[in-house]
Amino acid sequence: MLSCARPAMGLAIALASILAAPLQAGIKLITLPPRERVEIQLDNPSVTLVEEERVVPLNAGVNEVVFAWTNTQVDKESIQFRSLSDPENVKVLSTSYPPNENALTWQVAAPKAGSAKVRISYLIGQLDKSFAYEAVAAKDEKALTLRQYILLHNRANEEFGVSGMWPGFGERFERPIGTNETKQLLSSKFENVPVRKVYTADLSEFGYLDAGKQQLRVPMHYLLKNDAGNALGQFPFMYGKARVYQDDGRGTTAFLGEDWLKFTPRDDEVRLYLGVAKDVVVKRTLAKRDQNRVLGNLFNYDVVVRFEIENFKDQPVTLDIAESMSALRREILGNDTGRPVEWELMTDTPLAEMLDKEKTTADKLLFHVPLTPRGADQQAAKQTIDLHLLIKNEW
Amino acid sequence: MRRAYLKHGCFTPSDYTGMRTVLYGILFAVTALPALARQNIDLSTVPPRDTVQLTIYNSEDLTLVRETRTVTFKTGVNGLQFSWANTLIDPTSVQLRFKTHAEALELLDTTFPHDKPQELTWSVRSGLNGDAAVEITYFTSGITWAADYVCVSNADETHLAFDGFVRITNNSGEDYEDAQVRLVVGTLNLVEKVADLAKRGLITDQEERAHRKGEMPASKFKAPKARAEIADKAMKGLGYAEADEKSIIKEGLSEYFIYTVEGTETIPNTWSKRMRLFSGTSAPFRIQYRYRPREYGDQLVRMFLLRNDEKSSLGTTPLPDGVVRLFKDNGRDGLAMLAQQGIKYVPIGQEIELNLGADPEVIHEWILSRAYRDNIWFQRSGANVYYSPGQGHQIKVDDRVIGWDAHELRLERIRNYRAKPIDVEVRRPFDGDVVFHSLLSPTLHDYRTVQFSATLAPAEKKDLAYRVTTRSGINQKEQHVTLEAGE
Repeated sequence: MLSCARPAMGLAIALASILAAPLQAGIKLITLPPRERVEIQLDNPSVTLVEEERVVPLNAGVNEVVFAWTNTQVDKESIQFRSLSDPENVKVLSTSYPPNENALTWQVAAPKAGSAKVRISYLIGQLDKSFAYEAVAAKDEKALTLRQYILLHNRANEEFGVSGMWPGFGERFERPIGTNETKQLLSSKFENVPVRKVYTADLSEFGYLDAGKQQLRVPMHYLLKNDAGNALGQFPFMYGKARVYQDDGRGTTAFLGEDWLKFTPRDDEVRLYLGVAKDVVVKRTLAKRDQNRVLGNLFNYDVVVRFEIENFKDQPVTLDIAESMSALRREILGNDTGRPVEWELMTDTPLAEMLDKEKTTADKLLFHVPLTPRGADQQAAKQTIDLHLLIKNEW
Repeated sequence: MRRAYLKHGCFTPSDYTGMRTVLYGILFAVTALPALARQNIDLSTVPPRDTVQLTIYNSEDLTLVRETRTVTFKTGVNGLQFSWANTLIDPTSVQLRFKTHAEALELLDTTFPHDKPQELTWSVRSGLNGDAAVEITYFTSGITWAADYVCVSNADETHLAFDGFVRITNNSGEDYEDAQVRLVVGTLNLVEKVADLAKRGLITDQEERAHRKGEMPASKFKAPKARAEIADKAMKGLGYAEADEKSIIKEGLSEYFIYTVEGTETIPNTWSKRMRLFSGTSAPFRIQYRYRPREYGDQLVRMFLLRNDEKSSLGTTPLPDGVVRLFKDNGRDGLAMLAQQGIKYVPIGQEIELNLGADPEVIHEWILSRAYRDNIWFQRSGANVYYSPGQGHQIKVDDRVIGWDAHELRLERIRNYRAKPIDVEVRRPFDGDVVFHSLLSPTLHDYRTVQFSATLAPAEKKDLAYRVTTRSGINQKEQHVTLEAGE
């Protein structure tokens, strides 16, 4: 491309032959010599900036420097020329764009003859990046090792040679980038990251596993908190595919599943879905729905949502129970008024003690419920836990 | 290739073809040019342009071309043919004026031949037997210009290098060689604007007087021997060989701003050329985070704010509409691309707002933490009478809710993971009859939009809490927001 030797040289020769006779002394036409250094800036989420340095021989006076490319998506408008060796005096006077060509000519003034180091920057298409993650959990699933990879996809039809790359955080890389290559680079590695294994009962989000039996689909997630207290928190995590493995205790790992890791700011939780838990059985019923007239057509609804929970695992787990108030109102009224739900959590059941006040909002209540393991007789104790709510001022 | 030309004398269709060939020959036969050009001038059959001035508007696809040529007249009625095959010249706009010997020359008529749409002939009665300078003006389309800007922030994000450029593109079908170029910013009545601009001549009064007195030969306007050089420049698309960057004179005229490019430029057909308009070396800026859904969508965006004034090493010109490319020194001997956006005309003294989009290091969440209703009114069945239990009224079973106040406790939760303190401004619009209760010292941006701000230290998390009461149903009396202090 840019050095795009053939087209650039072709253009240069054509122009030089026309210009040979009338040129005034000091005007020189040159093409760009090879790259001395290339930096690929990957910090912008949507565009890739290439910076390359070349040493250009300049004559005193006005020089014409031709920059041409072919079969690459260089953003013509973004191309910049900066002199590094003598920025005060080596200056671009103007830029000419010939028709129907991927080329431009800089008119560069130089005070004296000699070599000038210049940096050319441009945005390029088809040279982009994505992120991928690999998590290897310890056998006890209490902690894991998280690796973040950058995948550089070079479909720009250009070989960059050894190039520096920086994603905007973490370390800078220096690797050769060939045409049509995808390069996977380990950008960060975090060890001993505490992991919380969470089972969730949330009808509005995950639905039923068996609607006839009112048995909820209970997904299992790994939760990692992106903060320093949990061996992370150095930067926000960008969107990418995460593959999760577990140490099987025999020197190898087992693949547990994969999920898309969503953009996760610092202090937020990375939530990786690892499949449906069949050993944690949650059945949800409406145990009570009493309509109480307040005045006129204004009613309160006294509602008990009952969860019958069995943990068939031989270890204690935490079940997150989440209830959407707007979904619950639709369930009990059969329609949606569009108004935010006015509710009151009744404190006559143990569940009220387990409310996560930080994460509960006007529409969604969240509770953390510890579940005891299956007994020695292999029987799971059935826990029945009620969510008692007053839905107020509906009409 | 050059298409518009002026031909003088008696002519026939075969002459016409012949002249075209001669013109093409001038452009291509570079080495033979001086002899040919002299021969043309000697014959006075195809008077070349002595000077040409382009006044290019950025608001419309319109360029005023003023060219001068030296024509040899004979006593009596002279025919002048002007044709512009394959160009974008507006034929109704072509005008002829006599720059010298105006008292001896009179334009009798203009004829547009029915079979040649891109041609006209002028009949000129001359009392002169010799050379006179004529000026031809016309509008052409196809020549455009646009501004663009390159900004590079220092690594600390306190100052910007702010450079402005203009790029002229010629798709008019005509090569303009050694043209004086003027660029106009403004969108007023084009006829008036063109008339104003046309008052300013390309040739100075002094030069014109000298020429009229015969003190300066017509060739001074453009010596024939210089034409070889012009043609060369046309071929290579470059107008000059000075080793200094050209200055661009910026001046206001009425409601417009005019940029006059120093010297002359050659912009061949289908080429474009970009030049520096100004260079702001060190413009201080401040950073503000804004939530303005109407302007920036439903996200908190990072803004760089600076002013187009002298204090900011700017302020030499309003900034015409154009694309800004914003970079930052990434502190690792390289640049980071921050943003690319279009800006609208920025007058001298006005603030320039650059939107960098959402920042992954500053997180904004909107949380509804609680909702409740009160002040409920009822309507009695079949009657337009309203009752409220709060007023001690008796409510019957058949009464229906007709008015209420809806209360929402809301949080704007902001987290700053930047190493510097940040300023945040939130503009939140509301529909209906709304009371906004808060201790945030809010103001009203407009009748329905509340504005409040906060400063966050590095690593600080702040919940900006407020309560919104929406008077609904018959409780709604207004369609606006009022502010009240309180939780």
